[in-house]
Amino acid sequence: MSIRIVDVHKSFGEKHILRGVSLEIEPGECFFIIGASGVGKSVIIKHLIGLLRPDKGELYVEGVEVSKLSEKELYPVRMKCAMVFQNSTLFDSMTCAENVALPLRKHRGMSMNEALKEANERLAAVRMERFADAKPAELGDGMQKRVAIARALTLDPSIVLFDEPTTSLDPVSARRTDALIRELCDRYGVTAIVVSHDLTSIFSIADRIAMLYNGTVRLLGTQQDFKTTDDEVVRQFIEGRAEGPMQL
Amino acid sequence: MGPYERGELMAGPDGALLAFPRFLGERVLALASQVGGVGILLKDVLVRLSPSQIDRLELFRNLGRMGVKSVPIISATAAFTGGIMVIQAAPFVQQFQAEAFIGWAATFTTFRELGPLLIALIFNGRVGANNTAELGTMKVTDQVDALRALSIDPVSYLVVPRILAMVSMMVVLCVIGDAVALGGAVLTADLLLDVSPNLFLSSAVERLEVWDFGLGLVKSLLFGLMIALMSCYYGLATKGGAPGVGRAVNASVVASASGVFIVDYLLTFIL
Repeated sequence: MSIRIVDVHKSFGEKHILRGVSLEIEPGECFFIIGASGVGKSVIIKHLIGLLRPDKGELYVEGVEVSKLSEKELYPVRMKCAMVFQNSTLFDSMTCAENVALPLRKHRGMSMNEALKEANERLAAVRMERFADAKPAELGDGMQKRVAIARALTLDPSIVLFDEPTTSLDPVSARRTDALIRELCDRYGVTAIVVSHDLTSIFSIADRIAMLYNGTVRLLGTQQDFKTTDDEVVRQFIEGRAEGPMQL
Repeated sequence: MGPYERGELMAGPDGALLAFPRFLGERVLALASQVGGVGILLKDVLVRLSPSQIDRLELFRNLGRMGVKSVPIISATAAFTGGIMVIQAAPFVQQFQAEAFIGWAATFTTFRELGPLLIALIFNGRVGANNTAELGTMKVTDQVDALRALSIDPVSYLVVPRILAMVSMMVVLCVIGDAVALGGAVLTADLLLDVSPNLFLSSAVERLEVWDFGLGLVKSLLFGLMIALMSCYYGLATKGGAPGVGRAVNASVVASASGVFIVDYLLTFIL
């Protein structure tokens, strides 16, 4: 088992966001977590690398219970479980190559020159080598996201968490990002956990899907399970209907 | 049932009675939280001061942008400070024909007090505010969390190099500022009071003690530490998007300037 989430609860002040979420994700799986905005999708994946701590419940990453680890003890977990944030979060003061070189310099003991050389190769893998010397602010959202993916992959993680990777991208960039995620799973055996409400992505690359609703998992299954479900809440979401039983 | 049980004093029109104590209590708690936060940050910095943990590239980058790029504005401030000291003293110097003391008087006050203080305030506005804005923006755009997600300690990578750069460059800028202020004072004394540079400098050298210069450097070091800690603390504590960054910069500049004056008062009193 790559990831195991057991009865996780999380509140922010009065708002009870997660009310007992449990999931199991297999190695190499492309697993989507879907649901309406504010339902707690990003909250779950931030728990997996210790950026948030659960009020109750347990989270296992490749067998290691992460919810009670100290910040320092989480570092090895984060090296094998990378995250691509919704807003790319590239460091503004650095070029794209320097952004990708940073983890190599800090964790592989490389000099700046060695790290930059490797960073250029990593950027080439996401077709961004031409922009190695550009600052993130000079790039569009889609390009920034590809650089962020290259940076997340520099330490060759076995698990990658994607927080809304196709949001704000044009359709072509979005489908290229989908293809990249699928390739990571198929070719390199990476476990991809993707938070998204992009229906095209969900129904083109997901192995399994979990839909969150009211703080719990409403439906867990394959693409086919979602297409054929009788659950009106799920149907309203995947059909994108304004009218229906779903409470926002 | 009395008014306390009914909650009238808390929520009703009479609740105004409790408004001031509540306001005071909230302010005291907020201040205690901020002082505690700065103390914890200082502890976190001190335990990470081993050479192996300091990112040299970040340190040199910060030394350049915080220190080297501050030299022009600090020099301009110092040159005027030196000149102003002479202009302020001029009427008394002429009245009492005390030209032999003008060099000492101007350098004494500049080296011990005005130089470090004014340089710290300029440094706070230029470097401290910029530092808070940069860290605050990184915080609200998840760049600090992105560092953590890359297994990079934000205190080691972001805070330690900035604090080392700000503290060391404040001392260096104070030395540069003292030299430029001396030049400004010599020039003004020559033009305004017809005091020759030789007389001015010999007056300063004969009567000044090394400690007068040293005290200014000690003050600069502590002012630099105050500005660095405050600007990093408020930057990393930023929340609430772009307005939050604005509030953090405002709080940082005010807290740093207040801290500089308090430290200055205590040091002047003790030393």
